[in-house]
Amino acid sequence: MKRRTFLQLSGMTAAGALLAGCQSKNEKLIPYLIGPDEGVTPGRATYYASSCAFCPAGCGILVRESEGRAKKIEGNPDHPVNRGRLCARGQAVLQELYHPDRLQQPLKRSGARGSGEFTRITWAEGLGLLTAKLKELQQEHSTDGLALLTPQLSGSLATLVTAFMRSFGSSRHVSYELLAPDWLRLADRQTFGQAGLPFYDLAETRYLLSFGADFVENHLSPVQYGNAFGRMRQGRDTVRGHFTYIGGRMSLTCASADRWMPARPGSEGALALGMARLILEEKLHDKSALAANGLRPEELLGRLKPYDLPRVADMTGLAKESIAEVAREFAGTGPSLALAGESVAFQSNGPESVRAIQLLNMLAGSLNRPGGIYPAAAPSGPDNSFTQLMALIESMQAGRIKLALIKGDPVHAIPPATGFQQALDKVPFCVSFATLLDDSALQADLILPDHAALESWGDVEPLAGSRRPLYGLMQPVVMPLHDTRQFGDVLLAAASQLGGAPAAALPQKSWLEFLKGTVAKRVSGKMGEKFEARWVDLLRRGGQFESNRGPDNVYRRASASSLPDPARPRFAGDETQYPLHLQVYPSSAFTDGRGAPFPWLQQLPDPMSCVVWDSWIEINPVTAAGLGISQGDLVEVASPRGSLRLPAVIYPGIRPDLVAIPLGQGHKGGGRYARERGVNPLALLVLVEGSEHQPAWNATRVRLTRVSKSGELVTAGHPQGSYRSDLIGI
Amino acid sequence: MSDKRIPVSKSDTLMNDEMLSSLRPPGLAWYALIAFLGAVVAWGLFAFGYQITRGMYVTGLDRPVMWGLYIVNFVFWVGLSHSGTMVSAILRLSQANWRRPILRAAEAMTVFSISVAGLFPLIHLGRNWVFFYLIPYPNQRGLWPNFRSPLLWDAMAITTYIIGSVLFLYLGMLPDLAVVRDRSSGWRHALFRLLALGWRGTAHEWTVYHKASTLMAALIIPVAVSVHSIVAWDFAVTVVPGWHSTIFPPYFVIGAILSGVAAVITLMIIIRRAFHLEEYLTPLHFDNMGKLLLVISLLWSYAYFVEVQTTWYAHEPIEWEVFSFMSGRYTVPLLVMLLGNSLLPITALCFKRVRRSIGAMLVITLLVNVGMLIERFLIIVPSLSHKNMPFVWGSYRPSWVELSITAAAFAGFALLYAFFVKLFPMVALSDVRELEARSVSVPLGRAELPSIAGKE
Amino acid sequence: MEKLTSPYKWGMVIDLDRCTGCGACVVACQAENNVAICDKKEIAEGRNMHWLRIERFWVGEYPDVRVRFLPVMCQHCHDAPCEPVCPVYASYHNPDGLNGQVYNRCVGTRYCGNNCPYAVRVFNFYQHEWPKPLENQLSPDITVRPRGVMEKCSFCIQRIRRVKETAKGEGRLIRDGEVQPACAQTCPAEALTFGNMADPESRAARLARSPRGFQLLEQLGTHPSVIYLKGGGREHVG
Ligand SMILES: Nc1nc2c(c(=O)[nH]1)N[C@H]1C(S)=C(S)[C@@H](COP(=O)(O)OP(=O)(O)OC[C@H]3O[C@@H](n4cnc5c(=O)[nH]c(N)nc54)[C@H](O)[C@@H]3O)O[C@H]1N2
Ligand code: SF4
Ligand code: SF4
Ligand code: SF4
Ligand code: SF4
Ligand code: SF4
Repeated sequence: MKRRTFLQLSGMTAAGALLAGCQSKNEKLIPYLIGPDEGVTPGRATYYASSCAFCPAGCGILVRESEGRAKKIEGNPDHPVNRGRLCARGQAVLQELYHPDRLQQPLKRSGARGSGEFTRITWAEGLGLLTAKLKELQQEHSTDGLALLTPQLSGSLATLVTAFMRSFGSSRHVSYELLAPDWLRLADRQTFGQAGLPFYDLAETRYLLSFGADFVENHLSPVQYGNAFGRMRQGRDTVRGHFTYIGGRMSLTCASADRWMPARPGSEGALALGMARLILEEKLHDKSALAANGLRPEELLGRLKPYDLPRVADMTGLAKESIAEVAREFAGTGPSLALAGESVAFQSNGPESVRAIQLLNMLAGSLNRPGGIYPAAAPSGPDNSFTQLMALIESMQAGRIKLALIKGDPVHAIPPATGFQQALDKVPFCVSFATLLDDSALQADLILPDHAALESWGDVEPLAGSRRPLYGLMQPVVMPLHDTRQFGDVLLAAASQLGGAPAAALPQKSWLEFLKGTVAKRVSGKMGEKFEARWVDLLRRGGQFESNRGPDNVYRRASASSLPDPARPRFAGDETQYPLHLQVYPSSAFTDGRGAPFPWLQQLPDPMSCVVWDSWIEINPVTAAGLGISQGDLVEVASPRGSLRLPAVIYPGIRPDLVAIPLGQGHKGGGRYARERGVNPLALLVLVEGSEHQPAWNATRVRLTRVSKSGELVTAGHPQGSYRSDLIGI
Repeated sequence: MSDKRIPVSKSDTLMNDEMLSSLRPPGLAWYALIAFLGAVVAWGLFAFGYQITRGMYVTGLDRPVMWGLYIVNFVFWVGLSHSGTMVSAILRLSQANWRRPILRAAEAMTVFSISVAGLFPLIHLGRNWVFFYLIPYPNQRGLWPNFRSPLLWDAMAITTYIIGSVLFLYLGMLPDLAVVRDRSSGWRHALFRLLALGWRGTAHEWTVYHKASTLMAALIIPVAVSVHSIVAWDFAVTVVPGWHSTIFPPYFVIGAILSGVAAVITLMIIIRRAFHLEEYLTPLHFDNMGKLLLVISLLWSYAYFVEVQTTWYAHEPIEWEVFSFMSGRYTVPLLVMLLGNSLLPITALCFKRVRRSIGAMLVITLLVNVGMLIERFLIIVPSLSHKNMPFVWGSYRPSWVELSITAAAFAGFALLYAFFVKLFPMVALSDVRELEARSVSVPLGRAELPSIAGKE
Repeated sequence: MEKLTSPYKWGMVIDLDRCTGCGACVVACQAENNVAICDKKEIAEGRNMHWLRIERFWVGEYPDVRVRFLPVMCQHCHDAPCEPVCPVYASYHNPDGLNGQVYNRCVGTRYCGNNCPYAVRVFNFYQHEWPKPLENQLSPDITVRPRGVMEKCSFCIQRIRRVKETAKGEGRLIRDGEVQPACAQTCPAEALTFGNMADPESRAARLARSPRGFQLLEQLGTHPSVIYLKGGGREHVG
């Protein structure tokens, strides 16, 4: 250092020290002395547009990449579904790519099923094994002995899978997901006579009435609706949208509501009809809308006779006054919007309740209007994949399935009450296409590991994301890390090795070629040089987001549609023996369990319970006190089907006769972060009698017993401090 | 009143012998003590090594309780260090003659406890290996430490205090070192010859010596006061509820003197017993020290009451929250603290019989320091546990590492002391002898007060 | 030598009426800033490393019960209690009004952590590891902090710097909305608005003037750069 500099510095330091008491001088001193903000070297990064395939919402993403590695996932601002925003899960998908326990090459089972003992094989061996099994089926003329179980697919992969199964000669492709909105498609079909899902114009509504639709965390398109909710609240200058939530458990979505109506489980449909009756009685309904839907108020009122206010109040356990008040507000504050959600749908009377809620939208004139409800341009999906699943399970039980191909983790995410897990044992050969050794892969005889999403090609049609058709593309943003192959490529390779009909139906050399073919069909019809330019452009932007085709589709009540009649709900388990209702709900981080392997999500405190790295059961404080249970105690939950032990969370936002357990934990596999962590509440669920073909996952009753005080519960918030917002004045 | 300050019947040589008895070759007991203390210190060093190699997670610290037992120790040991220099300087300046036999023990205690105290901020650093960033030295990056930080003030104050109290101790010891020099042989003789700086005991030397002692005593008092005020500023200048309190500096100083005086008494009792100095440390000394302790305990109680009272009266929600949490979660320690620092000394020390009972004084003074240790804990930990943001409230429990290092601090302190007594004259020989030369007894009412004939 | 004055005073507006408590911002921050992965034990010990947390408060009793969410990151106080107490200037104020943190300088006294009334400073009690190949996700733009040092939200200073350099290259000031910290960028509900408070026309500055605006622990006089907008409604229950 030069002497001058030294003197300068000494001078400044002395001045700094002298003036220290009265003035903040170091802000001048420090930048002079140390150059850039410490350790900050903004480097050059590249962004690749792609799509999030973690959940069916299919948000658009931009992946930041530097030095050949994916660094961060951000929302694609041009994507109409998520407008540059992302949920916690979408960002954690990065950890799928770099998960330390990823499957790195094909594996063949060497120990007993479920033992986790596998030997490494090459892709040639793996594919050979798969084709050999397929050929066996062909030789035995029992191609229907092939079953394919996948999540609900969209886009080109759905096309490929259908083509493969058809050309092979098997009808047993079941695309089942625990949380798939089949129930909503069914309700749409029954009420409006058209397949599909609704698009809610939540941002523009003034009165939002959610019957258990948890659009902030999971319902249909959470980022889109989370964003719309923000705009509904504070996006307009003069209007702040009102939000009332109905449901026995205060969900994350409900936590943002202005009013909470903790209706008795299964009574939501009756509540909707009670409100409908009151609206009609008081002539608050939209007359022209009713006429347009072919409904006569008097006739309707006559049909709604049984749903008088005192009876509905009695059924729901809510105050008459508040029911009437909400009904009047809903009808009187246009535009208003009523949403039906999973906790309603997964009751024994779910489908009817959902339709009852749709009726409210009709009465308020909310169909096809801004701030109301429109048909979404979503791809159609199955109305009841559960029936298909049950049929498949029956075939498996009967030994008719010889070869099962499994994409996804059904062993974890299908309730054992269906008998799926036992039935799988009867299938002589199972192939998994997992990326981690998940619960299903543990049961497989052959694992042909898929690429991680960020290494994959693909396309995504966002679920219920828009009124106009749109689709997103997925492109690899890094070179594949391991010796893995994409599911599509494996199917194409198998088809080609099989020869015959499959090879003829699927002549494409690679999944990319197949994908480009389907995309070409969409955009221009032909592949070729012109398309290549278009393709590059689509990849750069992340998909096709505008469409010339307007949203021509509208909702109109089908004339054949009957009026909904939500009967008294049925529950599994005797009330005296099992005094409490059990609600299982998708964790906001893990949904049905697919998020559990990612440490960022495990570490993310659950927004409502603040629990990290675990499962828990939510109990009303009064109920808990009655049972001698305090926060963090280990409790045993017993249902007619089984019992589980997990820590208790004292939860002021739940009905005293209801307890709730989040889904998503309790994996046997799934890598180091998910394995043997928490419990899977699906084990408790019972198929309610008379509802065997209707997934009534919230209709099981349970009993609680305190086991000990060591539930090993870890929460991010201080248990007492969490009640002391008075100290910070918020 | 028949207390004698010095056994005049004894010969000079005998008295010198007795007062220097601690310098006799150590016995088995001493070696056993050293071995034990050494083992504890070694264990503490191991614990510290463990902490350095593993990380701060081996402590019980967390968010929001980022300071724990180490800082408790720091404040406690700084407090203890007020014993000696401060007490001895005050007594020296106020010419209280009964002080003479205890000076040395007290001053040595200051040096050792402030040294132990000074270690704790370093032990507690997340990156001890770069502790030199705290030191103002010209460096290549041209970056100085932040003089606005009370930690820097601490560093300065403590360094000054260490230097000052070492000088103070040394200065007081100078004539004694000469005595020991003349009575020793071998390496000791060489050492003491060096240390005695050629002291011959001429009148001129004595005059200069007295001037220097008085000056040093006058200088060291403000330093001592400032040291604990500054330690109090570590807390008072923050915005932590329960810390942000204007009374902290005087309150800390009073607490420090309380703990220091109590520690001196405890030490007197131990030394008296260990080196058979019953005739030099008489009940009179304990009586006087007891009175001092009583006064300081009253002061402390007043300060504590004022602190709690203002919290209660203002009823600032978060301050009150901290106080309620502290009294609810730490009820037993709180009561022990109040008993040890306030109730017990105030009631018991009113009685002369108690003040003159060595056993009672031992119990009381030990309890005072237990109370003071608890007090430091109750100031630091509960305030941090329930800071401003209720969602991140927390708790703290010291880990074995922190407990080991604390134990090692006590052992290390004792170890230093054990070496010191074997090496240096424990009783301020020349001070005592000087008094003998001048002392007369002045009857005052019923009491016979020690006085001196001439001015010091 | 950097300029001593700056045309920027960065600030954040958090609309509690929009915030749904979803936690997307928490993961975004963790991803952007190489924030350590903390296992269950570590969090049980009170040593979570998140730079941004969503505080959740229960108010009232069933059925008259509500939840309030409060996202809390470093408030970048203009009179930051964490700054004067740091003996080594590891916690300092930069000309843009940010509270900066120099990891290399920090000796780990944790004094700043005590004196931050918002409890947003997190200390590296552990030496954090990213099991291979998870370390590939680490951003090269910022350091991975070693054990023994304090860290906290930086308002994504690397993003600010990047845009600053671009703007400087083009000889202009940073445009409103050009810098987006990771949390604000991802927030589905658009509850977080970041911007230059020195520009009265920036979106953040305009929002900050809302009558719903307030600052956390205002009474302490820390003058935070984060302005909260009160959540409304929630008066009916039943
Ligand atoms: N052990 C060892 N040490 C050596 C040498 C050796 O051979 N062995 N070689 C010596 C020699 S010859 C040299 S030149 C030096 C090189 O030493 P460095 O200058 O340290 O070079 P790199 O190690 O390449 O690291 C440069 C950093 O810049 C980042 N970076 C990459 N691209 C960009 C960009 O576009 N913008 C910005 N801002 N940052 C970017 C990278 O992520 C990386 O962190 O090392 C010297 N030291
Ligand atoms: S909502 Fe679904 S698709 Fe969108 S980011 Fe989240 S996980 Fe991905
Ligand atoms: S992302 Fe937005 S809405 Fe979600 S918790 Fe954070 S601030 Fe709130
Ligand atoms: S919030 Fe805390 S860490 Fe941030 S500037 Fe303020 S005092 Fe410092
Ligand atoms: S922990 Fe680091 S930043 Fe905080 S006061 Fe200590 S040295 Fe400064
Ligand atoms: S501004 Fe950046 S560092 Fe701060 S909380 Fe948001 S994402 Fe984290």
